[in-house]
Formats: sequence, structure tokens, C-alpha cells
Amino acid sequence: MKNKTWTRWLTLSFLALIFTLITPLTSTINAQDESYDQNLINEALEEPGTLKVGMEANYAPFNWSQTSSSNGAVEISNSPGEYANGYDVQMAVRLAEELNLTLEIIKLDWDGLPPALESGMIDAVIAGMSPTPERERQIDFSNAYYNSEIVLVVREDSNYAAANSIGDFDSARVTAQLNTFHYDLIEQIPNVHRQTAMDSFPAMITSVLSGKSDAYVSEAPGAMAATAANSDLMYITFDENNGFDTGQVNTSIAVGMQKDSPLLDPVNQALSTISQADRDQLMNDMVLLNERGESTGFWGDVREIWDMYGSQFLVGARNTLIIALISTVIGSTIGLGIAIYRSIPVDKKRNPISYFFYKLFDLLIMVYIEIFRGTPMMVQSMLIFYGSKLFFNIDMSPLFAALLIVSVNTGAYISEVFRGGIMGIDKGQSEAAKAIGMSHFQSMTTVILPQAIRNTLPALGNEFVINIKDTSVLNVIAVTELFFVTRSAAGSTYMTFQSFLIASIIYFVMTFVTTRLLRLIENYMSGSASYTVHESSTMPKTVERGSL
Amino acid sequence: MSKTILEVQHLEKRFGDNLVLKDIDFEVEAGEVISIIGSSGSGKSTLLRCLNLLETPTSGDILYHGDSILARSYDQNKYRAKVGMVFQGFNLFKNMTALKNCTVGQVKILDRSQAEAEKIALENLEKVGMAPYRDARPDQLSGGQQQRIAIARALSMNPEVLLFDEPTSALDPEMVGEVLDTMTALAREGLTMIVVTHEMAFARDVSSRVVFMDKGVIAESGPTDQIINNPENERTKEFLNRYLTENK
Ligand SMILES: Nc1ncnc2c1ncn2[C@@H]1O[C@H](COP(=O)(O)OP(=O)(O)O)[C@@H](O)[C@H]1O
Ligand SMILES: [Mg+2]
Repeated sequence: MKNKTWTRWLTLSFLALIFTLITPLTSTINAQDESYDQNLINEALEEPGTLKVGMEANYAPFNWSQTSSSNGAVEISNSPGEYANGYDVQMAVRLAEELNLTLEIIKLDWDGLPPALESGMIDAVIAGMSPTPERERQIDFSNAYYNSEIVLVVREDSNYAAANSIGDFDSARVTAQLNTFHYDLIEQIPNVHRQTAMDSFPAMITSVLSGKSDAYVSEAPGAMAATAANSDLMYITFDENNGFDTGQVNTSIAVGMQKDSPLLDPVNQALSTISQADRDQLMNDMVLLNERGESTGFWGDVREIWDMYGSQFLVGARNTLIIALISTVIGSTIGLGIAIYRSIPVDKKRNPISYFFYKLFDLLIMVYIEIFRGTPMMVQSMLIFYGSKLFFNIDMSPLFAALLIVSVNTGAYISEVFRGGIMGIDKGQSEAAKAIGMSHFQSMTTVILPQAIRNTLPALGNEFVINIKDTSVLNVIAVTELFFVTRSAAGSTYMTFQSFLIASIIYFVMTFVTTRLLRLIENYMSGSASYTVHESSTMPKTVERGSL
Repeated sequence: MSKTILEVQHLEKRFGDNLVLKDIDFEVEAGEVISIIGSSGSGKSTLLRCLNLLETPTSGDILYHGDSILARSYDQNKYRAKVGMVFQGFNLFKNMTALKNCTVGQVKILDRSQAEAEKIALENLEKVGMAPYRDARPDQLSGGQQQRIAIARALSMNPEVLLFDEPTSALDPEMVGEVLDTMTALAREGLTMIVVTHEMAFARDVSSRVVFMDKGVIAESGPTDQIINNPENERTKEFLNRYLTENK
């Protein structure tokens, strides 16, 4: 199944290490019990009685996002108005029912799933995740709740319709999808004529239907979808000894839980109550549900996505804008405060004690600036959001965490911008202010800062635009911002390009409008370009700038 | 009966190892117009900047009406408001109009009402001939105009002493006259002024006393006529000769 690289997660693996050190070893449940030990289950849950399940909601047919509760979809708790459905969701529903728990679905970025699990933000990952040796070091997996076999899709009326081993495909013309391990598996068929790899399912389907290929390699869910949509097609499954040897590639998916979680045995027990036939039927149902009609062309698809997910796009855009705006304002205030503080003259000889504390605080500020400027915001998000939960059991709302992280980041950048702006003001300005008796504070507020702020406005506007775009990394902490919404739409419809086109238009409109508004403010702050010469005897006349 | 406003005693100023002012003794009486002359780097600006505490003296003392302004408890900002300064580079507040430049200090430091401050500011702008330009911002005016507004700004604080540090050196030659005329008028009104200048004509015609500085010390000081026409110090003679030949 999903084998994305987990480099980001690995950078945070020390979280996991510390976690395993502080988690007491819990005793294993007596597996002979027919019923469930409800006390033990509740003890293992973050919130007794509720099973919190994390998933991406963008990986159809396993999990996807929709805007209504139709067909048994479950509302996503951290994104009101958005519903999750798919094979994983229905499995989760069954598990919760069997274990007598209330189900809560939490939408998280793929990279956010492991830390969310380890920090206790969620109790289980049911997200089309395959147990791999690396993952098993940090996560305990249940038995498989779906086994995705490798199958061959053929025409119902072809000679291969009755095949039951890959040997039966001797000398056949077979294709598979580009850049997948499926394409490499073709070589296992004796005397095979491997066809050119294709870049999409429709292309492979057309190839088989037209007779250019005899079969294409697919995983079972994809094959189900194809055969459901095309009555002329069928797919051939193989039993263990007659099929493809997939070697290291794991095609099963399982429920992920915390290491040594007491939930493991109850979950396995509950899974065992769902028969293979039920699972196949469920997958079949979900594939059919996810089936859409014929594509109506590129713009038709864009329209369709907008009709389905438009409200979610707007919610995402609104959140993105709110986070960027508030964070830029708070961050600028932090940055301005720091820049003012660092401009205070403290005389070492006159006030040795205040000088010491001034320098001490100054050092802390420098550490803050260096740390936040020197680390990626995504890493900070992970550490602050999941770390605060893991180590201090602080449950921040994702929006609060987002505002905090972006503000603090902006503050670190902007303080240097303001410092440069203040240093860039001619020394004569502050000397003239001093010379008429102004204190440092008065000179700052009436003379220096108005000029410095005016000069730094373009940089502040730039920071705002950067923040609009940078909020996209916040999907790792499950903030429903524009990028996260886009990924859900893309993953649920398989129309990636169309979804991201919509997103890029929204991003562009937001940044373009913002830039224009800021330009207006800058002009306003520059004052008028002309002034009126007052004369007692004649009418006032206006002098344009530069006419001297 | 003249009364002493400022009294400088054994003033010394160092920048690191560089001893810039050595043992300066110097008094300013009410109504005096003092010209400070001397070659570049002799410490004229530093002395002026020490007088209104833009630089902190390394040792020695400055008394204002008999009180040490260097004492820890002394309100130095209040003192600065009483001793105005006109800079070589004008240093008008770039974010304010001419009028605002002249009112901001009055309102913030002297607690005058906005209306009162504007009235006083306009009187002073009128005096320097810049009242028609009260709504202009510094970058919309010429150097001479800016310097005259800077003088109006300083005057609006009702200073007891006004310090000028080469007020015409940064100006195009055709604008020097308008600023010197303004300063001459102020001197005639009886304003106490200390002027660092290279304008020998101004020093000769307007000031009551001339101070010649050389290498961080006051080499010679006395009534204008005596210093300009009968200097005793060799260095003074040399300096004046150079200037008088240059200007003829
Ligand atoms: N802020 C400063 N730091 C170090 N040296 C300075 C500073 N200001 C002035 N000086 C030095 O002090 C000496 C006198 O300078 P200044 O008072 O400006 O002379 P003048 O105005 O007579 O030309 C010069 O040698 C100058 O380099
Ligand atoms: Mg000088």
C-alpha cells in the first residue's frame, strides 16, 4: 500500500524514543476471553469511551473526504462540515461498534499520523497503512484488515477468463502502470510480451478493451473499480502458490496503535469477527461509491470538484487568510517590541545591574531569533503541537497552535527587519530629537519608528504574503487550511491537477489582492505628493514634489 | 550686569585612546554671541555636542546656572530643551511637515497646547521667512529652507542658548546668505548663541567673542576685534591668514 518516504518522521524519532522510555510496560490482555475487558480498553484510550482514529481522508477507496454524511460517512471532528468515508472508515465504524466505543475521526496529514499516535492525540491509525519493518519499530500493528492481492484484469470474453495461475498467461501481452512495482512483476509471467507501461487506469483499461493488451496488473481495489465500471472486464485472482511473488513489498494493511498498547488484542479480536467475505463486499461497496461518471473534460472536472468541495475550499482559504493575517500582526508586534528593546541605550558604567539584566534578556531574544529562523516551520509545528501533548499533556487546538507557531516565526524574522529599519534611519534624526529634549522613548515613538515602519512596510507585506503560502505546512498539525483541503479533494477524486489548479487560483487571488492593498497603505503613509504654499495676499498655490 | 548661563570646567573628552578635548575652561554669559573657529578636527563639534550632552564628557564639569548637569540626579532631557542645537545637516524630522517639526517638541516636552504651540511655531517660521511653507515636508524643500526651519524649530522651544554647528557648511553657496541673515537677525535680538563656523565675515561682524580652538584646546579667546585683528597666538595668526587670503 502506501510506502511514502518517512524522512520527516525519522527526524522526530527521538520523540518516539523518549516516549518508549517513559511509557510503563503494560501487561498483555488474556486473549482467551470471549468478551472485552472494557476497563482495560478505557485505560488505554486517551478519552474513555471514545476511539479516536486518525486518517488522511484523501486516499480513495480506503479513505476519502466528502461534504455530506451520505452512505454512512462520519463527520471529521477537527473539520466541521467535512465527512470521511471509505473502507477504512467503515472498518473503524465496525471496530468501534464491536468494542462498544464512540468513534471519532481525526483528519491528519500522513506525516502527522505517527507523532499524533505517539503523543496520544489519537488512539489508532486506520489509514491504508502497511506494516513495514521501519514503522513497526515505533508502532504496533494489528492483524491485517485488508489484503490487497495482485490481480490481472482481462476481457470477460478472452481466453484468459478462466485462468487461475500466472502460468496460464504464457506468451500474453501484459501491461501495468508506469513507475509502480506492478510493472516489474510482469517478468514473472513465462514468455510474456511486456507492453509499454501506461500512465493511468483509463489508458490500461482502453488497451485491454481494444485488444492491444491481453491483461494489465492491478491491486484488487483498483481492479474492482475497473470491473464495476466496465461490464466487459473481469479480474483474475490467484491463490498463494500460483500468483506473483511480491517479495519485500507488503500489500496488507493494518491498524496502527501505540507500542505495547493494551488495545492490540481487543482490536485483533474484533477484527476476527469480520469475515473475508464481509471485507471483500465492503471493499466492493466502497469502490462503487467512489465511482464517478464519465469525465466531462478537464474544465468539467474542475467544475465538478468545485461543486463538490467548493465550500471546503472556501473554509480552507478563510482559515489560511485568518492565520496569515493575525500571525503577521502579532508577529510584527513581537518583532517591533524586540527591535525597540534592543535599541534601548543602557549605560554599563552608570547602571551595572540593569545592564546585566538587559544583556541577559537580550541573549534570550537572540537565542529565540536564531532558533526560529534556523529551523523549518514544519519541524517546529511537529515539536510544539505534538511535543506539548506528549511531554506536558497540553491539548492545543490546531488553530491556536498554528497562530502561535506562525506568529512566533514571523516575530523572529520581523524583529531583524525592524532592527535594520531602525538602524537605517539617519543618526541625525535621533540627535535632533534629543536636542529638543526628547527622551529615548519619545524620540522612538514620534520620530524614529514612524520612519522605520514606513520603510519596512514592503518587507511586512512580503512577510504577509509568505505567511499565506507558508500556512500550507501546517497540515501536519491538522489545521484545515487551503492546502490541506486541496489534498483531500485531490486524493478523494483522483483529480490532482484539477484540484491544485483551483487552489493555486485561490492562493493567487489572496496574495494579489493583499499586495495591492498594501501598496495603497504605503502610498497613504508617504503623505501627499504636493503641498500648499500659504501666502497672505494671493491665492494659495500648490507645489508638486520635485518642482524645486 | 551680565549673568553666567554656562560654565565649563576642566572639560575632557576621549574617544577610546584619542584625547579630543583637553582641559577646556569656558563661560557663556547671557546675550553673548560666541564664534568658535579652528581647523577641521580641532574638537569644535565635540565641544558643542558636550555642551548639550549629545556626547558625555570623560571628566570635568559643566554648570548650568551653577548646577552640574552631569550630576546623576540631574534631568538632562529638561536641560537639553533649554539649550537648542542647529546641525550642519539640518536633521529635520523627515516624517513631519515644517509646522509639525516646530510644534512636536513644544507639545511633548513643554506641555503646551496644540493651538499655543502652533501659534508660537508660526511666529518663528515667520521670523525665518518660512511660514508659507508650513505644510511642506523636508524632502520637498531646499537645504537653505530646511536650515531656516531647523532654526525655527529650535527657537520654538524658547532656548536660553542656541548652539550652531557649521550651519551653512552643507549649503549651496547661493543659500548661505539667507541662513546667515537669519542668524544675524537673531543675534541683534539678543539671543545667546554659540556658533561653530568657517564664515569669518559672520564671526567678525556679528559675534561679540571669538574662541580659537587648536588640537583639542582653546588656544586663544577674547573679544572679536582683538582676536580677529590682533591675535597673540601664532597658530591663530596662521589660521586667520589662511582664511583671509582664501576669502579674498
Ligand atoms: N564619535 C566619535 N568617535 C571617535 N572619534 C571622534 C568622534 N567624534 C569625533 N571624533 C574625533 O574627535 C576629533 C575632533 O572632531 P570634531 O569635534 O568633529 O572636530 P571639528 O568639529 O573641529 O572638525 C577628530 O579627530 C575626530 O576624529
Ligand atoms: Mg565639526
